[in-house]
Amino acid sequence: MTDSTEHLAPHAVERLKGLRSQGSHEGIFTSDLSVNEFVMVRKANFEPLGLVVGSCIYHMGIQYGNWNQNMEMDVLSQAMYQARELAISRMEQESILLQADGIVGVRLEVKRMEWDQDILEFMAIGTAIAHRSGASGFKGVGGKPFTSDLSGQDFWMLLQAGYRPMEMVMGSCVYHVAHQGLLKSMGNVGRNTEMEQFTQAMYDARELAMERMQHEAQEAQADGITGVQLHEGSHNWKPHIIEFFAVGTAVKAMENADALVDGLSPQLVIPVND
Amino acid sequence: MSIWDKIKHGIEEVAQDAQRAAENLGHNVSQGVRSQTPEEMQRYSEWEQALQQRRLPSFIQNRMFATSQGHLPWISTATAAELLLQRSHGVQPIGMVTGNCWYHFGYSWTQGHYDGWHTAVERMRLEAIALGANAIVDVRMKVRHGEGEDMDYGVTGTAIRLTGIPPATAPVIATVSALEFVRLLEDGVVPVGIAIGANFDWYMPWMGTVADQASQQAPFAARYWNMEITDLSTFQENVRRRALYDLREDGRKMAAGVLGHTSYTQMFRVPADQDNPERFLCRHISIGTAISYLPKNPPQHELLAMISLADHPLTSATDSKKDLI
Repeated sequence: MTDSTEHLAPHAVERLKGLRSQGSHEGIFTSDLSVNEFVMVRKANFEPLGLVVGSCIYHMGIQYGNWNQNMEMDVLSQAMYQARELAISRMEQESILLQADGIVGVRLEVKRMEWDQDILEFMAIGTAIAHRSGASGFKGVGGKPFTSDLSGQDFWMLLQAGYRPMEMVMGSCVYHVAHQGLLKSMGNVGRNTEMEQFTQAMYDARELAMERMQHEAQEAQADGITGVQLHEGSHNWKPHIIEFFAVGTAVKAMENADALVDGLSPQLVIPVND
Repeated sequence: MSIWDKIKHGIEEVAQDAQRAAENLGHNVSQGVRSQTPEEMQRYSEWEQALQQRRLPSFIQNRMFATSQGHLPWISTATAAELLLQRSHGVQPIGMVTGNCWYHFGYSWTQGHYDGWHTAVERMRLEAIALGANAIVDVRMKVRHGEGEDMDYGVTGTAIRLTGIPPATAPVIATVSALEFVRLLEDGVVPVGIAIGANFDWYMPWMGTVADQASQQAPFAARYWNMEITDLSTFQENVRRRALYDLREDGRKMAAGVLGHTSYTQMFRVPADQDNPERFLCRHISIGTAISYLPKNPPQHELLAMISLADHPLTSATDSKKDLI
């Protein structure tokens, strides 16, 4: 615990200690779980410990794409990835201090600072949870708390389905979309036709982001990734620069999965006042 | 827009491009500019060939193969609840599949919707075939608007394999989640694809519309009259009818009925100019999920009626335009 707390502000350490006195679940928790989520996390035999946050204010390097070429803006891709990674790792440190098994409901937010368009703020926020009776086997990669963007209900359901969350995995790709050449624009006048260069840029950027996310899950020794979302954004960059961001929760099958799952028979219902 | 307008518009576009290029010359000499590396060039030429030849580039093919063999983790857009289906119904998520098509509208925005969606869906299907999938579920459609007369049509979904069924040569495409997909399968209903009906037409009333004619006959009185502008009604109705006919025909190609979820009509009045008299453009687009089923078989599921206490915001029952247009 010594290593991980070094980088935290003293008052943050104090706050976290108040949330969970050493080695016990006594203490007052904070969380941004909804009532339903709270109930389901407890149903899964876990207790919320505290709201954990990590943030990172990052200056993005400058890079220009060649005007008429499709290409990844690797400086920006790395920046977007590294800044998120830093925010998440700080949030993780807080959860280690709480002796949490993991973090659920992680939200990743990116904001642009008013005064400078090259500065972005990244924030990761989630609720640290721990198994009520301290059962082992729920920690993530390398014995660190797991991270996941699953809601409380999803977390319960995931355990019922025989999987446990390992790590929130992500892949990012910032891409410069080539401008169309003059001749090409002239050639397209009056024609209904595909703009292959643009298609290819979108396709390639998306593929790179997903490839990276999948690679990260492989590193985490996960079986798969669930709840994958694909975000697109242009954080006030020049036109023709776009970010694809793939994010999901890497999961691993639990050893006693069969016994768990066979006991569950879900009932299908259709709400009639929907 | 007449052909002259188009050429004029094209020349303007080119001039704008040239201006932007000149502005960017400054950037090109600055340090931050990078050019494609040889590896990137290789990758892009492979993309180009693959798109032209309607196949997948080798790097995607390889990733799909490794994923289908379990050498790479599976990827799924499904919720945790849907992982249960692996055991209850043998539904195995394999990978997330995508496709898109960025399309330039030269003569028809409407026809572009038809071509764009179909091209994107076929590209997504290629990825699912490479994964050895039986179906693609949770298919989401998304558009991006370009700077000029162009738009990108994008689809994403999760390729699934059903235990005991050999890989399909043409996996079915379902806009519903895995959970709903199996529920439909149990009832003998198979969502098979996305159907599009798109039609547009021009109307040039040489003597003016019915309303114009009336005001010519009775210059002062006509504006106080209630009257249907019958020619415009008929014109619009015909465009809609043809679009819905196209939707049905598109479904018929998949031997399926269509549950339309997006429906969009637009009508413009273009004032008279040097080349043309006043004219009207009407376009209609319908998008739906194609489902194949035997009408004779009634639904199998028992229904438990329940009243949910969850808060649902009040939504309009008639608003069927989604953000796909």
